[in-house]
Amino acid sequence: MRHKTDILDVAARKLAPYMFVFGLYLVTYGDLSPGGGFQGGVVIASGIILLAIAKSVDAVEELIPLRRFAVAETTTFGLLLAVGIGGVVAGAGFLADFVGRGAIGPLPAARFVYALNILIGAKVAAGASLICMHLFGDER
Amino acid sequence: MKRAVEIAAAAVVAVFLILALAGDHPTESPIREYIVAHGVDDTGAVNLVTSIYLGYRAFDTLGETIVLLIAVSGVMFLVKRSKPPTDRDVDQ
Repeated sequence: MRHKTDILDVAARKLAPYMFVFGLYLVTYGDLSPGGGFQGGVVIASGIILLAIAKSVDAVEELIPLRRFAVAETTTFGLLLAVGIGGVVAGAGFLADFVGRGAIGPLPAARFVYALNILIGAKVAAGASLICMHLFGDER
Repeated sequence: MKRAVEIAAAAVVAVFLILALAGDHPTESPIREYIVAHGVDDTGAVNLVTSIYLGYRAFDTLGETIVLLIAVSGVMFLVKRSKPPTDRDVDQ
């Protein structure tokens, strides 16, 4: 594992968790405030990419194997399709809201939009970081 | 002389941008009024942008995720081919 500088190392390792938390906030509050699955997923991915640039792709791979990103990418896509087909089965139409609306409270009221946001957030986070880590992979 | 042409071009662009931003959006469209009036009730999402791309146009969003999936597949295919195999690749 190549060591760059202490400043880069420490700053990246201290900053990345906050980027993950902010990305999760954007994903989970996407139905209420600006943000959403795509944007939050990219913020999470940029945290992973920051670690990959500042430390190395190998360091990230020790944390989470690259293979697991690929599995997450394809699994969430399958789940998205399953949610869409679930709408057809429930008689509402492809990707139509079939779970209904919850009451205003601690749980999100727009359950369907919330679920889609989380699936898309996981998919974009896995996909965007996978692309970058494969492109950085030649460095190692 | 060159500098003057550059400044003139930048000024023209600035005028167009300011005109585009000034006041209301000039295009009246019934769909915009419909979404502003009914978006929150139809989808439950308070954020209207989300109510459009996951409520009214979820199919479009599915297409975007397919684009990302294909991009990932393409990068993995191309990068794997251009790189000499390492021990890690053999392990997998």
